[in-house]
Formats: sequence, C-alpha cells, structure tokens
Amino acid sequence: MTLQVLAFALAALLMLGGAAVVALTKDLMRLVVGLGVFLLGVAGLFLYYGHAFLATAQVFVYVGGVLVLVVFAVMVVHRASGGRPIVASRHDIGAAAVAFGVSGMLVMSLRGSVGGWLPAPGASGASIAEELLGGHLVAFESLGVLLLVALVAVLVIIGSGERR
Amino acid sequence: MSAFGSNPWLAVAVPFIVAVVIAALGRRATAVTQWVAVLGPITASLVGLAGLQGSVASSSVPWLTQGSASIDAGVAVDGLSAIMLVVVGVVATMVVVFSVGYLEHDGAKARYFSLLALFTAAMSLLVMSTNLVTLFIGWELVGACSYLLIGFWYHKPSAASAAMKAFLTTRVGDVGMLLGLALLWKTTGSLDIATITGAAPGLTAATATAAALLLFMGAAGKSAQFPLHIWLPDAMEGPTPVSALIHAATMVAAGVFLIARMWPLFEVSEAARAVVLWVGTFTALFAATIACVQSDIKKVLAYSTISQLGFMFAALGAGAWGAAMFHLVTHAAFKALLFLGSGSVIHGTGTQDIREMGGLARQMPVTTLTWVVGATALAGIPPLAGFFSKDAVLAGVLHAVPAAGAVLLGASLLTAFYAFRVTRVAFFGQSRAETAAHESPLSMTAPLVVLAALAAVLGFFGGSITHALGLEAEGLEAAVAGASVLAAVIGIVVGIVLYAGDLERAEVLKGRFQRVHRLAFGGWGVDALVQRTIVAPAGAIAGWVYRVLDRTVIDGGVEGIGAGAQFAGKIASRLQSGETDVYASLVAVGFIVVMGIVLWAGR
Amino acid sequence: MTVLVLCAVVFGIGMYTVLTRREIVAILAGVELMLGSANVLFIALASFSGADAGVAGAIGLVILVIAAAEAAVGLSLVVTISRRSKRSSIDELTEVNG
Repeated sequence: MTLQVLAFALAALLMLGGAAVVALTKDLMRLVVGLGVFLLGVAGLFLYYGHAFLATAQVFVYVGGVLVLVVFAVMVVHRASGGRPIVASRHDIGAAAVAFGVSGMLVMSLRGSVGGWLPAPGASGASIAEELLGGHLVAFESLGVLLLVALVAVLVIIGSGERR
Repeated sequence: MSAFGSNPWLAVAVPFIVAVVIAALGRRATAVTQWVAVLGPITASLVGLAGLQGSVASSSVPWLTQGSASIDAGVAVDGLSAIMLVVVGVVATMVVVFSVGYLEHDGAKARYFSLLALFTAAMSLLVMSTNLVTLFIGWELVGACSYLLIGFWYHKPSAASAAMKAFLTTRVGDVGMLLGLALLWKTTGSLDIATITGAAPGLTAATATAAALLLFMGAAGKSAQFPLHIWLPDAMEGPTPVSALIHAATMVAAGVFLIARMWPLFEVSEAARAVVLWVGTFTALFAATIACVQSDIKKVLAYSTISQLGFMFAALGAGAWGAAMFHLVTHAAFKALLFLGSGSVIHGTGTQDIREMGGLARQMPVTTLTWVVGATALAGIPPLAGFFSKDAVLAGVLHAVPAAGAVLLGASLLTAFYAFRVTRVAFFGQSRAETAAHESPLSMTAPLVVLAALAAVLGFFGGSITHALGLEAEGLEAAVAGASVLAAVIGIVVGIVLYAGDLERAEVLKGRFQRVHRLAFGGWGVDALVQRTIVAPAGAIAGWVYRVLDRTVIDGGVEGIGAGAQFAGKIASRLQSGETDVYASLVAVGFIVVMGIVLWAGR
Repeated sequence: MTVLVLCAVVFGIGMYTVLTRREIVAILAGVELMLGSANVLFIALASFSGADAGVAGAIGLVILVIAAAEAAVGLSLVVTISRRSKRSSIDELTEVNG
C-alpha cells in the first residue's frame, strides 16, 4: 500500500514538475527537458495502472522519438533565428484564469467517476494485441494509414520548404 | 422458374437495379443499355408467370417498428398480382423494344430507359405489396415516373405543364387515399392488406363506406375517372410508348387493381359500390362521346382509355370484379397495341392529326394490319379479346343494375364508332399528307405483331384469368353477347360510312351541330370549369399570398434577419483580432460555460 | 480523486502554456501536456469503471499514436516555417490570414 502510494506520488511529481518547467521556463532547451520529465511521469502512471505495454510504448514513442524531434526542431529554429529566442509571454492573468477554470470544470464534471486508490489489474501487451488485431482491426489499420499519411505529410511539408 | 417463384422481390429489385445501372452508365452506353432495360420487365413477367403456377413464396421484413405497432414491408404474389405482373411485364417489354426504334434519334435515351425500368420496379412493388404502406409507396413512385415521363420533353412548355397537371390532379385523389389509409389504420389497427380485408366484414357500414370511398378517390385519380380525368388527355404530351405503357395499360389500371385488391372492403359497403358503378358508367359514356370528335389520334386513344377504365369501374361497382380484371388484361393488350400503333404512325408521318393522314394502309401495311386488329378488339367484335371481356363486363353490370348496363351498351356503340372513325380516316381512303409516310423499323413492328396476337387470342383465356383470381368463370350469355355485337357493328358501320370519301359528310354534320361539337371537342367544358372554379381562385389566393405574406411578411422578415446578422457581424468582427491565443481562450471559455450548464442542469 | 486533480491541473498547465507562449515549439509542448494528461486520465477512469482493460489499453495506444503523429507534423511545420521565413513566433505567421 505504502509502496503503491509512493510510486504514484513519484509519477505524479514527475508529471507536475515537468509540466511546471514547460510552462514557466524561458529557455527552450530546458522546456524540452521538462517535457521529457513529464512524459516519463505519464509512462509511470500508465505503469501504475497496470498498462505496462502502454508505458513502454510511451517511452519509446515519446521519449525516444518525439523528444528527439523536438530537440532537432529547437536546434534548427535556433540556428535559423540566430541565437536562443526569448520566450515571451503575455495575457498571463487571463490565460491563467481560463486554464484554472478548465481544470476546475474537469474536476467538477468527473469527480463522480473516480474511485479509491487501488488500481484495477491492467492489460498485458497480449490482450491489447488481441483487441487491436481482433475486434478493432479496422480501427487499427486506419490508424496505421493515418500514421503513414502523417509521415508523407511531413516529407511533403519539409520537401516543399526545400524547393523554394 | 423456381428461382423467380421463391424470390418474388426480384420483380422489384431487378428493374430497380437496371434503372440505376442505365442511369449510371449515362448516354454514351445507351446503345447497349437500352436493351438491358428489357431485363426488368422480363423478370417481372417471369415472377408473374411463376405466380400463375401457384409457386410463389411470400417474403417480408419487419419495417417501421414504432412501439407496439409495426409495419412489415412484404411482397407476395397471389392470382391478382400475378396477372398484373404479367400484364406489366409483357407490355413493358414490348414498349421497351418499341422505344428502341421510336427514340432512335433522341439524345436523352439513358434517362428515358432508366425511368421505364424504374416504373416497372414501382409497378411491381405496387401490385405485390402485402401492405398498404408499401403499396402506397409504389403508387406514388409510378405517379412520379409518370410525371417525369410525361415531361420527358420538358423543353416543350406544353409537356412540362401537362406533367404538372397530371401530378397535381392525381395528387387530389391521393390525398383521399391517404385519408382512407389513416381511417383504416385507426379502425383496424393495421395496414396489412390481409388483416384489413379480414376485418372488413366487422366494420360498421359508415366506416366501411367512408374508407372505401376515400380509397376510390385515389383510384379515380390514378385511373382518370370523372371528374379527375382531365390530366390523362394532356398526358399525351409524353412520348407515345410511355402513353402505351403508363397511360393505357398499367398505371391507370392501378386504380382498378386497388379496388380489386381491397374488394372485401367494398363488398361491405353497398353505397360505395353504387358510387363506383355510376362514376364508372358515367365516365365510360362521357369519355366515349369526347373520343368521337377528337382529331388528334392520341387524344382519341386517351379518351378511349378513360372510357374503357370507366367500363372496368362499372364492373367493379356491379360486383363483377373478375370481369373488371379480365377487361383490364385484354384492354392492356389492345390499348397498348393501339398506342404503339399510333406511335408507329406518328413516327412514319410526323403528325398526330388524323385529318392529315389517310391512306396509310399502302405505306404502312404492318402497322395498319395490327391497328385494325386492335381497333376491332376495342370495338368488341368476336373472336377478338375485347369482345369477351367487354361482354363479361356488360353481363355483370346488366345483372346488377340494368340501367347502367344500357348506358354501357350505348358507350360501347360509341366505342366502335370512334375506333373505326380513326381507322377509316387515318389508314384508308386518299392520302392527305404532303410527304409520303414510311413503315417503321422492325424493333417497332415486332412488338405490334406480338401485341396484336395477344389482342386476338387473349379473350379465350377469360376462364383461366377468373380462375386465377379464385372466382367462378361464367359462360357467355347469348342475349348480352348479341346486343353488344349488334351495338359494335352499328358503330363500325356508321363510322366507316360517315367518314367514307373525303370527310365531306362529317364536315356537314359538324357544321350543323357546331356548338355541340365544340363543347364535346373541349371535353364538355370540364377542363374550363376546373380552370374557372379551382385553378383561377387558387391562382388568385396564391397571388394574394405572394403579395402580402411573401413580400411583406416573409421577405421583410428575412431581410430583417439579414440586416441583423450584418449588424451583429460588424460587432463580432472586432473579436477577430488575429491573435490565436485569444481564439483558443474563447474555445476554453466555451468549454467551461457548456460544462457549467451541463453540471447545473444535471443537478 | 488524486489522479483526477493531478490530471486536471496538468491539463490546465498545458492550456496555460498554449495560451501564453508565442514560440511554436512551446505551444506544441503545451499541447503534448494536455494530450498526455488526458490519456492518463482516460486510463485511470477505465480502471475505476471496471471496463475491459484490453480495450482501454488499445484506445490509449491509439491516442498516444495520434498524438505522436500530430507532434511530428507540427514540428515539421515549425522547421519548414523557420527555414522559409526565419521566424518561429506564432504572431508573425500572418501569411494565410483571411
């Protein structure tokens, strides 16, 4: 019990901390690091709820893939704009109010749906595969198509930028 | 055959698919698809033939389930629908083949043949429905096809307005029919035909009469009975094969079919039967007199069709619905033949006015021969089909109401007269045309020959037709047969003698009775009366509504809304600052507001 | 309850990031925060409601993958834009304004 609470607290701390860094830092590289911490926290929570496969996928796809992309993007942007950009912000108070309102509404609307501490037994990779390749094969396949389209779109966007 | 017997829905599905395919392939493929169109009617007639052998399964699926009430969409083939299916299938097949020649140079063949196939599907649905709702769907679909085909040459203003007239006039009857369906639904709790006919004897006389008369209203509209007949002569603006199929053989007979289908309901109500009888009798005589003076060959046939449908309704009213169905079958054969024959004549001469024809017998031998067969059958000369069926009708009516029978006898004299008047003027004597006519191609003459053969021999199948309907076949009655043949011969002789030579005698007669002639030529003024009493006031009301309601209220309102929107837009455009974070914030605020409302309402 | 509050707060932080930042990369990061917290919340709610864990995992995977695709496309846009116009602030991207 204590161990579980501890694990949850650790993951939650990672998420919160990462998110706070992303929201507040003025340095883009720190922002990337914060995002990575946040994503690790998300993976930890997946693990906590028993979705080991999802957690692995999260680490692979995000920490391994997307984060590297972000780093590249940051570096390219930096080089293009010459030096580290200043991350300016404005409308601070209004945005904070709106964000707070959304958070509050989320809690208010969903508070009836959450239970106690103990998570239900999660899904193994095998059972996810069963779902994806069995009953939801079409959804799975169209997801693959979507990813392919996204990849092609990336190539087209980048390619068109190069030509001009 | 068994495939058609166990799947009666094929009679609807195949023509429908054919219609879709033809329409989808478009005008470039018409050289092939015009022949594909034959598949639809052939399927319908095969299902009908299977039904005549008594080997058709019914199939139905639950549909429109609303609470405890449900309506099943079903098709079944009994004797009645089998006969109708065969009639529809055979005539439609002939018409499709004929149309290949008739519309050889028309650019819109894809639309035409697609509509013909769609019509076949709708008609099959109409005759096979086990349920008044699906029957009504078929009923309206054939009406829609009729509208589209009358207006086939829609660039002609007369065709467009004729199509609208046909649609609106039949709609008057259909309103009655819908009310009848509602009444039946309310009283019997079902729209299943078998349930209703089963419950009919238990209905009160008033209810049964009301329901039967409302259904008859629909039937009268569809079958062009007085005073809803005014659309049928105008419907001749459509292509002639369409007139043969829809406005002579099948759709206009749907009214007769409907009453035959709902016969147990009419059996309960004597008053309704009397109305049907007298409307039919009056229409038969009334339309026959008009047919005698028309000079447009198709108009003659149109009024003849109205008159013959009047015969059928008279038979229905007299209780001889078997005879009515028999006459429907033979009439379908010889009237389709006559219409296709007139189509062949119009194709060959380029005119519809019989006064501009004359002497066609030498130029169009096949058409003339088949026409004479059709005209003789129409006149009711033995042993052709019309004789037997008309005799059955006359016998039935004479037994029930002798006075009506006498009127019908007079009408059949006029029938023989106008049939041979046209024959004499158009096909014999001296040619009055400026250009020489030519015989039509094989695809047009072949259907004529087939239909002529049917018109010649169908009369001998009267026994089997009544048997298929589950009725006792009755033999000929010498007295009735003699009287009807006598009337026919008198009519024929008068027609031929009066119009012998150069139409001089007829012109003299016309001059002497000029006022009567003009009245009869105009359909005894019914059209004008309708124009004055209904169309003109409706137009006036519409004009008032347009000026007052449309212009001031609705237009004013709409323009006010437009101006308001413009004003609101001007204000709202200030929000359009171009700052994305403001937009995103607005989305989020929207979420907060919506969730707040949901939470507050859900409390 | 804890996880709900956690996710709602992180979602709010993500939204705050999206609303206040002008750097496109930062905005994308904020979107990632929102997506991630939503996904966690989804999985958590699935556990509480006793839904089939396999289905929940499958849907979670779908969300994850779509989010990754979205990030990839967005980042490629950033790179292209910055290469073409030497800019990476969202307010300067007014070329396609109506």
